[in-house]
Amino acid sequence: MLKIEHLSKQFGDLQALSDVTYNVKKGEILGLIGQNGAGKSTTFHSILSFIHYDGKISWDDQPINERVFDQIGYLPEERSLMPKMTVEQQILYWARLKGKSAKQIKPAIDQWMKRFEVKGKKTDKIKSLSKGNQQKVQLICTLIHRPSLIILDEPFSGLDPVNVDILEQAILNAKKEGAAIIFSSHDMGNVEALCDELVMMRRGEMILHGEIRTIREQFGKNEIFVTTDWPTAQLSQLPHIVEVTELSHHRYRLRVDDPAAGKPIFQQLSNGEYMEEFSQQPPTLDEIFRLKAGDPR
Amino acid sequence: MKKMWIVTLTTYLRQVKSWSFVILVLSPFIMLLVSFGVGFVSANSTSSSDDIAVIAKQPALRKGYIQVAGKDNVDTKLTTAKAAQHALKKNDISGYVILSAGQQYSAVYHGKEAMSASDKAQLTGYLGKLQTQNNVAQAKLTRQQLKQLSVQPAFKQVVQKREGIVKMARMVSFWILVFMVYMILTTYASITAQEIASEKGAKVMEMVFSSTTASKYFCGKILGVLMVIATQLLVYLAGGWVSLVAAKQMNMAKPFFDQYGSLVNQVVHNLVNVNLLFLFLGVIIYTILAAFSGALVSKAEDASKAAYPAVYLSMIAFFATFPFQNNADALMVKIMSYVPFFSSYFMPLRIINQSASFMEIGISLGILILTIIGLTWYISSIYKGLILQADESHFWQRLRRGVAYK
Repeated sequence: MLKIEHLSKQFGDLQALSDVTYNVKKGEILGLIGQNGAGKSTTFHSILSFIHYDGKISWDDQPINERVFDQIGYLPEERSLMPKMTVEQQILYWARLKGKSAKQIKPAIDQWMKRFEVKGKKTDKIKSLSKGNQQKVQLICTLIHRPSLIILDEPFSGLDPVNVDILEQAILNAKKEGAAIIFSSHDMGNVEALCDELVMMRRGEMILHGEIRTIREQFGKNEIFVTTDWPTAQLSQLPHIVEVTELSHHRYRLRVDDPAAGKPIFQQLSNGEYMEEFSQQPPTLDEIFRLKAGDPR
Repeated sequence: MKKMWIVTLTTYLRQVKSWSFVILVLSPFIMLLVSFGVGFVSANSTSSSDDIAVIAKQPALRKGYIQVAGKDNVDTKLTTAKAAQHALKKNDISGYVILSAGQQYSAVYHGKEAMSASDKAQLTGYLGKLQTQNNVAQAKLTRQQLKQLSVQPAFKQVVQKREGIVKMARMVSFWILVFMVYMILTTYASITAQEIASEKGAKVMEMVFSSTTASKYFCGKILGVLMVIATQLLVYLAGGWVSLVAAKQMNMAKPFFDQYGSLVNQVVHNLVNVNLLFLFLGVIIYTILAAFSGALVSKAEDASKAAYPAVYLSMIAFFATFPFQNNADALMVKIMSYVPFFSSYFMPLRIINQSASFMEIGISLGILILTIIGLTWYISSIYKGLILQADESHFWQRLRRGVAYK
């Protein structure tokens, strides 16, 4: 288990991280979200000992040292490939630095390239590959040694929807194999689809932490999605309505100030008849992000 | 250690497999071959037109002179005056000489220009000897008289040749050595600084430091570059030895080695000794400095500038040796021969001029080795802090932050 306890980091006058504490268990995915400068990359850099920090970080109750490095698969935010190396040389180089032998890794390269649908041969130079394929090679370098702790810094940025699916599948496979996975993302869709838990950060502070469902429900079921013939003006007259938004033709989102108002609104709208759609939901992760992660200044 | 070795081996193989390394290593040999080739071709192409033909009714007379002049200087195929005249017209020979024997030996030279002084001396010497033999035979002298007439004047030269050669050898060795140190050092300082700065620019360092420690990576990198330098020096030593042996076997180079053989041996002796160790350690210390400055650049485009500190320092040390090439006992030379970064130029200068004792050489080597160990230890401990700074802040700011990383 990855344990982060009271992690703090200051760069000059800037408090980059402030008393951050959470765990990531094996076989669990944790999403780290926050605006730029919230402290996501600084957290990763602290875990990997790139920077000195206050607090304690451990993996399986051991401090992060070179022996632990071999169990870590890290995907940096920017591509970390040597343009003049071939795909095979690059993958082997990183894998050997992770304590694996060429003999162990070589036979798996073709299989991983196929799984990630890399367009190119393993004898191709990195610089000859497209940006997307370079990113896939980078992912192979991160995962091929079967790490038990996977740290992915913005892994979905710049990927097209097809490649997002491939990466999501790879992350879920690693989870199935028992790896502890922590990744940062701006895309709440990926976070919602993959994560067991999330940590939301703002200006170095952890402002939300927990299971996604629990967090959403903490905010109450204040949104009602309804398909009705009622016009907007009439919907606005319903009790406890704060806001009415027409999403498409005859489809509305009603925001209420009290979740208990859902039942009387349903009764009024349906009048005992069939209704095509009436769904009372907590706010989406996107909405929670906008609400909480935005700068309070 | 295993991870350090992986970094070392990767660095080494990447360098030695590059075209720039192959060209760098082979270029002196290519130049040597080209100069030998040019010499050979010009020697061959000029030889025919410089030859002379020898014509004589008496074959023994002709044969005797060809032996004296040497077959290389005589066109032996031409045996008649007509053929020689024809060859002269076509500029195949520079002239021909018609010899005749009798009461008086004579020679008539035909050419477009006067006979060369050396040929003329050779010819008159040869004919003079034959004429004397003939005269002595004709005079019917007694053995005693003949012995008396054979007495020749004595001439002996006493030249301090050894001292002259030693002086010349020192000067030649000095120039070869300082240029070698400067060239190798500048080349590898640039290669190292650029390689590290490019890696920093390619953002690979985060991946590296998530796999191994900064000190192992730094030491691995330096060791890799050192292996490349050692490879180059070994190729130079082996190639130099083969070239020397081959040159000594060549007829064309024989006069050169007859005249300068001991000078060449002296120069080789001056170079292939502890001076090579100073060269090697000098390259190491400058490589470490170059790696340090390479880690301080902020973007890949600045990689070429990364070598400047090491190259400029090397240039200062290189030019500082010039005024002292004939004054190795100067106080300045003595001081500088102990100062790391400078000692790789100044101590070899003292060694060549035999102005440094074994103890002084040992102390200088000791200081240099300790500095290398200290620098490696210190830079590897702050290396992570230096190289992970990717912002475009001022150079001094990055340096201050890097030094404070520890």
